[in-house]
Amino acid sequence: MSNKKLRRAGLSKDITERLAVNNVFTCKDFLSKNNLELLKLLGLGYYSLQNVVKTCCKACVPEPVTALELLERRKSKNFFKTTLPDLDIVLHGGIPMGTVTEIAGPSGCGKTQFCVMLSVVATLPANMGSLDGCVMYIDTESAFSAERLVQVAQCKYPEYFSQEDSLLQLTRSIFVDVQQTCSSLIKRLTSLEEEIISKKIKLIVVDSIASLVRKEYSGSGGKSLIDRTNFLSQQAAILKYLAEVFCIPVVVTNQITTRFGQNPTPSDLEEGGEIVPETDSGYVTAALGNTWSHNVNTRLILQYLEGQKRQVLVAKSPVAPFTSFTYTIQDTGIVQEVDGAGHYHGTDPGIQNIRVRLSLPLEYATKK
Amino acid sequence: MQSQRTLSTFPIAPVHKTKLCAAGFLTVEDLKDIKPSGLSKETGIGLEECLEIIKLVNDDTTKKSTVKSAFDILQQEQTLPPIITFSEQIDAMLGGGVPLCKITEFCGAPGIGKTQMCMQLSVDVQIPECFGGLDGEVVYIDTEGSFIVERLVDITTATIQHCQQISQMESDDETKSSMSEFTAEKVLSRIHYYRCHDYVELLATVHLLPDFIKDHPKVRLVVVDSIAFHFRYDFDDFSLRTRLLTSMAQSFIKLATEYKIAVVLTQMTTKVKHGGSSQLVPALGESWGHASTVRVILYWEGQQRYAWLYKSPSKKESTVPYQVTMGGIRDIVDSHDCDKTENNLQQPAKRQRVT
Repeated sequence: MSNKKLRRAGLSKDITERLAVNNVFTCKDFLSKNNLELLKLLGLGYYSLQNVVKTCCKACVPEPVTALELLERRKSKNFFKTTLPDLDIVLHGGIPMGTVTEIAGPSGCGKTQFCVMLSVVATLPANMGSLDGCVMYIDTESAFSAERLVQVAQCKYPEYFSQEDSLLQLTRSIFVDVQQTCSSLIKRLTSLEEEIISKKIKLIVVDSIASLVRKEYSGSGGKSLIDRTNFLSQQAAILKYLAEVFCIPVVVTNQITTRFGQNPTPSDLEEGGEIVPETDSGYVTAALGNTWSHNVNTRLILQYLEGQKRQVLVAKSPVAPFTSFTYTIQDTGIVQEVDGAGHYHGTDPGIQNIRVRLSLPLEYATKK
Repeated sequence: MQSQRTLSTFPIAPVHKTKLCAAGFLTVEDLKDIKPSGLSKETGIGLEECLEIIKLVNDDTTKKSTVKSAFDILQQEQTLPPIITFSEQIDAMLGGGVPLCKITEFCGAPGIGKTQMCMQLSVDVQIPECFGGLDGEVVYIDTEGSFIVERLVDITTATIQHCQQISQMESDDETKSSMSEFTAEKVLSRIHYYRCHDYVELLATVHLLPDFIKDHPKVRLVVVDSIAFHFRYDFDDFSLRTRLLTSMAQSFIKLATEYKIAVVLTQMTTKVKHGGSSQLVPALGESWGHASTVRVILYWEGQQRYAWLYKSPSKKESTVPYQVTMGGIRDIVDSHDCDKTENNLQQPAKRQRVT
């Protein structure tokens, strides 16, 4: 990492000391200086300086691997099954390990349900084709329900969870951490590494990434949107680092927002089966904007269809085409419907339209 | 003229400069015919340092002239085939493909296919020479972690299939033998992958690239996906950011021309307020725009992907549609044709069977 101290970088003691006098302690400090500054600080000749720079670079350069080695390394464990059969097929086997996957959708659409279900699946033993590990569930909305967790587990895998023991085991291996502010969240993420190792964490869930930043940062007053972008990018870099180094999947959820102007052309709306928004110019899409969209590797969008049915869209993925599946939320968690799988004509995942529940169905209203 | 150059213009440590100056050594001519021992005696600088100073000055002044005639450059350009993208329209727009010895930059919205383009080029640069390829190796620097090997395997398989189809038409022995060597395993083993977790690692990698390329002389393509990611956060000092970026751009230009390599960078887009409405622009700002020689902007228009040649020294500005299929980057083909030829390589947009 960048904070590698220069005295471990293999430079001679003399040089390290001379740099330390000038407040250059880490490789990061060193490489931020230009050649002229370094010449001045070190009083070395040009060629010797080149060698010093090279030594320093060698200390913090990542080791190159060929794609073939990478493939072999990933062969055994590369995807985490979502247990939605068709979704797993198009994603080449599930959520890719070592990357950040985002689930975006309107409220009540099943984002938390999805996360709870994934948490249950992740704790299953390896002989059931799963990760056999613990889950770090970072909850910013206080939406996690342990009761629901147990219910999903019992309904989804009645045989395995028939004994008390396995249920106890399940509840013990999911760690829920409630974070209420952005700064505490980032602190939590930076210190997460220790726990990943000590607790054998195999899945990180952040539910949701959006709620805190949307609360603390706003365009007018308080912290600005530029700060928000910086914060999100930093968060993404940490999550990606954790995912990759420990080869685990990271799942984050995102909220939706309404955007105005420049919405997709009417033909998109018809073909894609998207909503025709009530207002003329507004349309609903994933929150946190364009820069954040770059930061996720895979984006799944949940949206409402008619009645109990909802739909999951693969909106951004390095491996999968634009596909959609219908699902319902039942006792066992998210259940994929037999029919309703298909392709849709996708567009920029940053502006992909999301269908929301416009009003309560009449029957519910009259029943009351 | 060179002999009149003052010593203060050389990269010599300030301590030594003052000593040289005090001893009366001001220009290159003063250092002529002097031995390190003599210099050391007169200036009080250590022997080794003196040797280095003399070497440095001599190297710099005896450097060969860098002037080339346009004829030489034309010949060079013609002997180096560009890297094709597998989309004929994009190739035509770029003048045959992504050029060697130049920096080409792809900017675009999330999910538009920047990474796909990089992977496609990484495979295409390895196409054997008898098919008009470059038979080169690749350095792939990944800062975002979006490099999925399984996807690369898809693209590789499609490319190999394509070459096989061509080789079946030809009965040439040479073609067949090079075809038998062109396997997925070989392709994958010739992509050298660096994963950089922060900008310091990226800088270090770029510093050491010349050494790596000296060890691997067949490298013909360097990909950085994306250049912007680590420069988007953790920077309070924007002048430092600009300086690091420009020095990196300089290293890439040097690398590209010295070793005849194509450098491909990707950059994400960000939003700026422009008058009343907001617009998507490349993330690193206007000044970075000078770094790349060729710049292509990828964007969505409704459900169609477009590549827009934004800057190029040789081709005029134009826009072409393209698509991302299972096999990689392809031209848009008439959807009616596609349904008929199911097994054709150019299948419709990223369509995969869903059971």
